[in-house]
Amino acid sequence: MIEVRDLSVRYGAVEALRGITLTAQPGHTTAVLGANGAGKSSLLRAISGISPVTGGEILLNSKAIQTVPPEKRSQLGLAHAMEGRRIFKQLAVHENLELAWSFGARKIDLQKGIREVYDRFPILGEKSTTAGGLLSGGQQQMLILSCATIRNPTHLLLDEPSLGLAPIIVNQIYDFIASFARDTGATVIIAEQMATMALKVSNYGYVLRGGKVVVDGESKELLRNGIAETLSSSYL
Amino acid sequence: MSFFLSLLLAGISVGSIYALVALGLNLTFLTTRTLNFGHGSIMMICAIVIAYFASLGYAVPLLLIGSLALAVFLGLCVERIARPALRGGGSMGWVVSTLGFGILLQGIAAREFGSQAVAFPAIIFSAADFFIVGGVFVAYQYLVVLVVSIMLILIIELFLRRTRWGHAVRAVSLDAELGVVNGLPVKLIITMSFVCSALLAAVAGILVAQVGGTVDPAFGFNLVLFGFVAAVIGGMGSSVGALVGGLIVGILSKMVAGYVSSAAEHAVAFALLMLMLAIRPQGIFVQPEVNKA
Repeated sequence: MIEVRDLSVRYGAVEALRGITLTAQPGHTTAVLGANGAGKSSLLRAISGISPVTGGEILLNSKAIQTVPPEKRSQLGLAHAMEGRRIFKQLAVHENLELAWSFGARKIDLQKGIREVYDRFPILGEKSTTAGGLLSGGQQQMLILSCATIRNPTHLLLDEPSLGLAPIIVNQIYDFIASFARDTGATVIIAEQMATMALKVSNYGYVLRGGKVVVDGESKELLRNGIAETLSSSYL
Repeated sequence: MSFFLSLLLAGISVGSIYALVALGLNLTFLTTRTLNFGHGSIMMICAIVIAYFASLGYAVPLLLIGSLALAVFLGLCVERIARPALRGGGSMGWVVSTLGFGILLQGIAAREFGSQAVAFPAIIFSAADFFIVGGVFVAYQYLVVLVVSIMLILIIELFLRRTRWGHAVRAVSLDAELGVVNGLPVKLIITMSFVCSALLAAVAGILVAQVGGTVDPAFGFNLVLFGFVAAVIGGMGSSVGALVGGLIVGILSKMVAGYVSSAAEHAVAFALLMLMLAIRPQGIFVQPEVNKA
């Protein structure tokens, strides 16, 4: 379970988060929606420990972690797929997977983890010795997602997994995300602009605007109330 | 012909020292994109300490260990001094702080040991031990330098390519924040890179002093210039590049010194540097950034 209480993040004079409170249940997927600059990434980065938190609390399974240095948080079972094609571009696909597995808390052994990844996304198996930077956008996103999940983390943060991808790949990636929390009992938080997609696979949703939660509720409710459409129009 | 051969051998020998210096510069560049401009001073102080205390009659093996321990300490100091500037992000403060640290070390050495050259003790072979290749006398010391350089380069290259920690070092050089999120001990890796770089400086300093026979406080500065040129030619961050770059610079500068004028050594090295930066700025052994999307 991830709990965030009255969290503030500030970059110099810019307030990115202004008192966010949110709870993500284990075995559930929680969607964080909002336009560019609403604070989605800042929220996930604060949970990972890489944005400057100025107030509030972050709890992992009811334990406050604000004072835990970021590189130690992966040992608490946290994994974070960052936005913007963040992989080690000069390292091969299998080296990326090995590194993602090696330094955090893990529940399965490396060979089994890698086999599962290659079974799920066979194209990564075919390209296992290719440098990450030479993969296509969709393949890179598969790799990022695989790196974040290879240790079977208990807490998973996903930042814009659909950004800039063809619809067919988005579906493939979302099918996997949808089943991950359910099958492993992990706490999953997904930040997305594609609200409809994210609400379909999630249990609960929060809508951010200007660094604050403006609406929250069961994903089904939010979908029924047309939140997705309102959001989409507010991007334009 | 034998003149050519002796220049070639001298070139290979100094070249392998430039390679060791380049390797030391590479290590901190890999993890933090910074160069330690005090590298030459660490070479000097680690060598001069041995020379000074050996002249007082201390046992050389003991001094070697002490000198390497001093290098570890100095590496930690450089990292500590450069850290605030590194954290600032994009600041060039580390240039001034590492250079300043180097000058400080040089000043301390001049004050404590005098600015005269100090004779360096023979450690493995004396200058009088030689063998003959193609009619040319070659000192065993040159061979030691070459073998040690190649061994260290092999070890570092294997570490970076074949071990998980080596991959972690490369990962930190590519994207430190992504490393942190993946749980890599980024701070430890950076600290260790400075320590290993200082150790390489000490080894290079001891080997050069061994070949040259003397050390003085200004020693090291020239070597770092040539080492820097070697690193750029081979490609910053590449160990094999450091070796090849070092040999190219070493052989070329000795050839020019032999056939043209020994005053032209520097000019040639820097002409080579400019040429390289114009034609292939990433160096011989570094691929341009891999990036599709």
